[in-house]
Amino acid sequence: MAGIAGRGTRLGWVINLSVLALVILWLIPTVGLLVSSFRDRDQISETGWWKAPFAVEQTYRARVDAGGAVAEGTGFVITGNVFEAAGVGSGQVTAFGVTGRDPAAFAPGDMAELRGGGMLTVAGDGSFRATSPEEFGRRGPSIYFQAATPPKFTLDNYRRVLGADAMDRAFINTLTVTIPATIIPILIAAFAAYALAWMEFPGRGLLIAAIVGLLVVPLQLALVPLLSLHYKVGIGQGFLGIWMAHTGFGLPLAVYLLRNYMAGLPRDIIESAKVDGATDFQVFTKIVLPLSFPALASFAIFQFLWVWNDLLVAKVFLPSTDEAKVMTVKIADDLLGSRGGDWGILAAAAFTSIAVPLLVFFTLQRYLVRGLLAGSVK
Amino acid sequence: MRINAMAGAAAFVLCVGPAQAQALKFQPGEGAQFTWSSYDSFAAAHDLTGQVLTITGPWIGPDKVLVESVLAYFEAATGAQVNYSGSDSFEQDIVIATEAGSAPDIAVFPQPGLAADMARRGFLVPLDDETADWVRANYAAGESWVDLGTYADADGTEKLFGFFYKVDLKSLVWYVPDAFDEAGYEIPETMEELKALTERMVADGGTPWCIGLGSGAATGWPATDWVEDMILRTQPPEVYDQWVTNAIPFDDPRVVAAIEEYGWFARNDDFVAGGVQNVATTDFRESPAGLFTFPPECYMHRQASFISTFFPEGTELGLDADFFYFPAYAGKDLGTPVLGAGTLWAITADSEAARVFMEFLKTPIAHEVWMAQSGFLTPFAGANPKAYGTEALSAQGEILTSATTFRFDGSDLMPSEIGADAFWKGMVAYSSGEDAAAVARGIQDRWDAIR
Amino acid sequence: MSPLIQGLMTILIGIGGCVGYFWLSNLLLDRVIFPARGPDQGRNITRANAVRPWLFLFPALAALGLYLVYPVVGSFWRSLFNRDGDTFIGLGNYVALAGDDGFRTAVFNNLLWVLVVPAAATFFGLVAAQLTDRLRWGNLAKSMIFMPMAISFVGASLIWKFVYANEADIGLINAIRAALGADNPVDVIQIPFWNNFFLMVILIWIQTGFAMVILSAALRGIPEETVEAAIIDGANPFQIFFKIKVPQIVGTILVVWTTITILVLKVFDIVYTMTGGNFGTQILPSYMMSYMFRDDGRATAVAFVIMILVLPVMAWNIRQSRREMR
Repeated sequence: MAGIAGRGTRLGWVINLSVLALVILWLIPTVGLLVSSFRDRDQISETGWWKAPFAVEQTYRARVDAGGAVAEGTGFVITGNVFEAAGVGSGQVTAFGVTGRDPAAFAPGDMAELRGGGMLTVAGDGSFRATSPEEFGRRGPSIYFQAATPPKFTLDNYRRVLGADAMDRAFINTLTVTIPATIIPILIAAFAAYALAWMEFPGRGLLIAAIVGLLVVPLQLALVPLLSLHYKVGIGQGFLGIWMAHTGFGLPLAVYLLRNYMAGLPRDIIESAKVDGATDFQVFTKIVLPLSFPALASFAIFQFLWVWNDLLVAKVFLPSTDEAKVMTVKIADDLLGSRGGDWGILAAAAFTSIAVPLLVFFTLQRYLVRGLLAGSVK
Repeated sequence: MRINAMAGAAAFVLCVGPAQAQALKFQPGEGAQFTWSSYDSFAAAHDLTGQVLTITGPWIGPDKVLVESVLAYFEAATGAQVNYSGSDSFEQDIVIATEAGSAPDIAVFPQPGLAADMARRGFLVPLDDETADWVRANYAAGESWVDLGTYADADGTEKLFGFFYKVDLKSLVWYVPDAFDEAGYEIPETMEELKALTERMVADGGTPWCIGLGSGAATGWPATDWVEDMILRTQPPEVYDQWVTNAIPFDDPRVVAAIEEYGWFARNDDFVAGGVQNVATTDFRESPAGLFTFPPECYMHRQASFISTFFPEGTELGLDADFFYFPAYAGKDLGTPVLGAGTLWAITADSEAARVFMEFLKTPIAHEVWMAQSGFLTPFAGANPKAYGTEALSAQGEILTSATTFRFDGSDLMPSEIGADAFWKGMVAYSSGEDAAAVARGIQDRWDAIR
Repeated sequence: MSPLIQGLMTILIGIGGCVGYFWLSNLLLDRVIFPARGPDQGRNITRANAVRPWLFLFPALAALGLYLVYPVVGSFWRSLFNRDGDTFIGLGNYVALAGDDGFRTAVFNNLLWVLVVPAAATFFGLVAAQLTDRLRWGNLAKSMIFMPMAISFVGASLIWKFVYANEADIGLINAIRAALGADNPVDVIQIPFWNNFFLMVILIWIQTGFAMVILSAALRGIPEETVEAAIIDGANPFQIFFKIKVPQIVGTILVVWTTITILVLKVFDIVYTMTGGNFGTQILPSYMMSYMFRDDGRATAVAFVIMILVLPVMAWNIRQSRREMR
C-alpha cells in the first residue's frame, strides 16, 4: 500500500532522518561503553570517549635526582630528560612549570626561575637543564610538564578484569547458573502447557487464570520465605537452590507462552492423530513438541536473558564468596566499589557481561520476536 | 566420579603445599625485626594437613592481597588450605550466608555492631576464657578490646566472641608535602589553624579538601567518621559514649552541632573539590586521587590510615604523600582525642582449623608480617614495633599511643540498622543539602523503631 | 568439583529426571493401573485420560506452588511478626511503615515509575514502530532499538553512568553542557525529584524496543482497507495514525502497557547500582533491600505492599485472558 513513507519525498526524508536520530540516540550510550573499554585508563579520565581518536594532553611530574648535579663555573647544573625522570615513554613537551599549581606556566625553551633561586629550561623533546648558584638540596627540583600522548587503545582493561578481578570465574558461574535454569523449566512447562491447551479436565480455565495471575507476583515476595525454606531442607545457598528458584520464577511465563502457542496449532492434526490411536503422550512428543519449536526457542531466549541478567535472585540465593559470584553481582557489589572511579575497568567488565546476551540476541532475534508475539498478541 | 574428583583435589592441594611455602612474602628466619621463633613454635605445635578453612571478610582488591599474604604463613605452618573471599557488601552477605547455613568458618567483621547482632542470634561461636585473658594481658588498653569483642549470646550471657586483629587509625589528614612546600603551607597544630589554612587555600585560588562518600552499598560511611571525630573534638568522651549507646538521642543539639562542624568543611562549594555535589557520589577510594593531580584538585584528605593502599601506584609515603593528626581545638580542653577502628575475627562455624587459626592470631609473627607491609597497626605489645615497614606506620603507631582519648568508630558500635544503614544514608542526605537536625531526627526515629 | 561440571550433571539429571518422570508415569498409568485391555478396557481408558492431565501438570504445579504461591502466603505470615520472627505483632510492621518518611518517598517514587515508564516506553515504541514500518532499513533500525533488551539492568546502569557522570570528561551530558558554555558540571543523579526521571530513562531505553516489536506487529495486522478508505477521504498521515490506526490496536497497547508496568514494580537493580537509594530516589524494591535480613518482618511487609500495588494489574490480566479464551 501507499504508506506514509511513500507520500512525497519530503515526508520520506523526515521519517528517514528521525529514525536515524532515534537509532543514534539509542546506540550512543552502548557505543560509549564499548569505546571506553578499549581506552587506556589515564586517557579515559583526561578526555571523553568521543575524543578517543585524538591525542591526549596529560600533565606529569619529574623528580630530578640531585645526585646527578655537576659543578660548573660558579654554580651547579643538572641535565637530563624529563620523560626519563618521570618514567613515561616519550613525546612532545607542550608546556612546563616549576610548581604543581601552575604546571604549564612556560613554553618549551623558556627560562623559568626555580624556588631555590636557580633557573630551569625544558626543550620540546624533553631534555632539561637546571642551574643553581648553590648546591641542590637532598631532593632535586620537581619539574612539571605537559605532553601530548597519541591515542592509546589497549586490551589491558579486559586483561585486568578477567585476570586480577576474577571476572573469568564470575563468567563461568553465570554460565553455570544460566544453562540449567533455562533448560529445566522448558521441559516442565511444555508438558503443563500441552495439558492446558489440548486436554479436557475440570478446572482447566481456573488453572490458566491462576497462572496468568502468578505472572504478576513480585519476585520480592518470594525471597525471604524461600531462602529460609532452602535453609530448612538443607539446600542453603548454592547453585542447586538458584536453579530451582529460577525454574519456579520462570514457569508462569513459560507455561503461558507455550500454552498460547500450542492452543493455536491446527486442531485437525492433533485430532486425526488421536483418531489413529495415538496416546496423549505420543501426540505431545511426536507432533506438538516439534511444531512448537519456535515458541520453545523464544522462551529459552527469554529465560536465558532473564537469568543471565538477574541481580536480585543471585544476590539472595548464592553465597557471597568469590567462588560463587555471578557477573551482575560481581559488578554491582565488587567492581563498582573497588573500582569506583576506574572507568576502563568498569566498562570492560560491563561489556564482558553483556557480550553473550548480545550475541544470543542478534543471532536468535527472530525467535524472540515470534515468541513475544505469541505471548502478547493473540 | 565425584569421589575421584575429590581425591584429585586433595592430591592437588598436597602438591601445592610446598609451592605455597615459597610464595611467602618474607622468608622465615630472615630479618631481625620478625619474631620467627613464634612462627617456628606455632608450626611445630599444629598440623592441619588436608583441612580447609574458609574466611570471609570485607577486604577486596589490594587489601585482599595483603590479608592473603598473612594467611599464607598459616597455610605454610599448618598445611591447611585457607580460602579467603572478600565482598564489598560484606555486611549484607554474611547475614544472608549464616541464615542460609552456608557460613564460612571465620568471618572478619568490620562492624562490632553487626557481630553483636549475630552473636545474639546464636550465629557466632564463643572464644575461650584464655583468649580473653590473653587479650587483657597483651594488648595495649586490653580491657577495652575485650569489652569491644564481648557480646550477649542467644541466652543473654556475655561472652567473648571477637578477636581484634588489624587496627585502623581514623583521625588522619593526608597531604602532598611538595604541594604544601610550594605553596608555603605549614602543618596545622590545632583545629583553629586547620580552619584558617582551609580558608587561606581558597584565598590562594586552590581547593582545600577532597571528600568522597561513595562506597557501593555502604555509601556515606566516610562522613560518619568525620562526625565522630567532630564529636570527640567538641564534646567530652562521655558524651560520645552516651551518643553511641543512644543514652542521649541522635538529634541532641550537641550531636547536631558536630554534624554541622563537618558541614563547615563539606558543605562549602569553595572548600571541596568538584563542589558539594561531588561529595556524595565520588567513590572514597577514588577521592584521594585529587591530591596527586597537577594542578592539585585539593590539598587535604581526611581519611583512615588504610587509604594509602588506594593512592596511585608508585606513591612513596613520606615523599609523595604524608599525613598529620586531624587536630583538636586549642580553645576546648579536650586533649588529643583519636578515633580508630579495627577488624574483629569471629568463628562462625566451629572446627579445629578455626580454633587453631585464632591461636595463630596470637603469635607476634601474624602481626609483624602485615606490619611490615602497609595499612596495619596493632595494639599487640608482643609484636616488634621495628617491624613496621614504613616510617609512616611507625608515626601512626605513635599517634595511637600518644592519644589522650581513644574511641572506637561509633557507627561500628551502633546497631547495624543505624550504624550500617540509617547513619550512612542520613549523612549522604546531609551532605547533599538536607538540614542537619532533620537528618538526625530521622536517624533517631529509625533507632526508636528497632527497640 | 568445578561448578561447570556440576552444572552439566544437573542438566543431565534434570532433563533425565523430567523425561523419565513423564515417560514412566505415563507407562505406569497405561500399562499397570488402568491397562487398556481386558474387560474394563473402555472404562480404564476414560479413567486414564482423566488422570493424565494431572500427571502432565504435576511438576509445574508443584514448582509454582512452592516457589510462587507458598511465598505469597509465607511472606504475609512473616510480615505479621517482629524483626526476629518470634513475636506476633499483627499489622505492626505495616503501621510502622506508614509512619516512615522513607517508605512514603519510596511509594511516591514507585508511583512515578509506574506512571511514567510504561507510558513513555509505549509511546516511543509506538512512534518507532510506525516510523520504521515502511523503511527499507527498518529492520536494522528495529534491531538497534530492540538491542538494550538483551542488556542487564546492571550493565545498562554502567552504560548510563557514562552519560550521567559528573565530569565533563566522562559524562556525555556534562560534556554537552560544557560545550554549550556551562561553567560547572552538574550531577543529574542528585537533582532532587528530577533525578528519578533520569533513572527512569534507563528503563525506558531498555523497554522501548519491546513495545516497538509488539506494536509493529499489531500495526501490520491492521486491515489495509480501513487505511486506504481514510486516504481516499483525504486524511493526512497524522490523522490516519491517531484516528484510524491507534484505535484499532488499543488492545495491544494495553497489553504492552501492563507488561511493562509489572516489570517496573520488580526492578530494583537500576536504583541499587545508580544511587543505592540515596538522594530521594528510593523505590519499594530497593527500600526493601535495606531491611532484608535485618528485619525480615518489615521487609516482607514491604514486599506485600508491592504485591498489593500489583493486584489491579493482575485482576485486569486475568479478566483479559479469560475473555480471550471464550
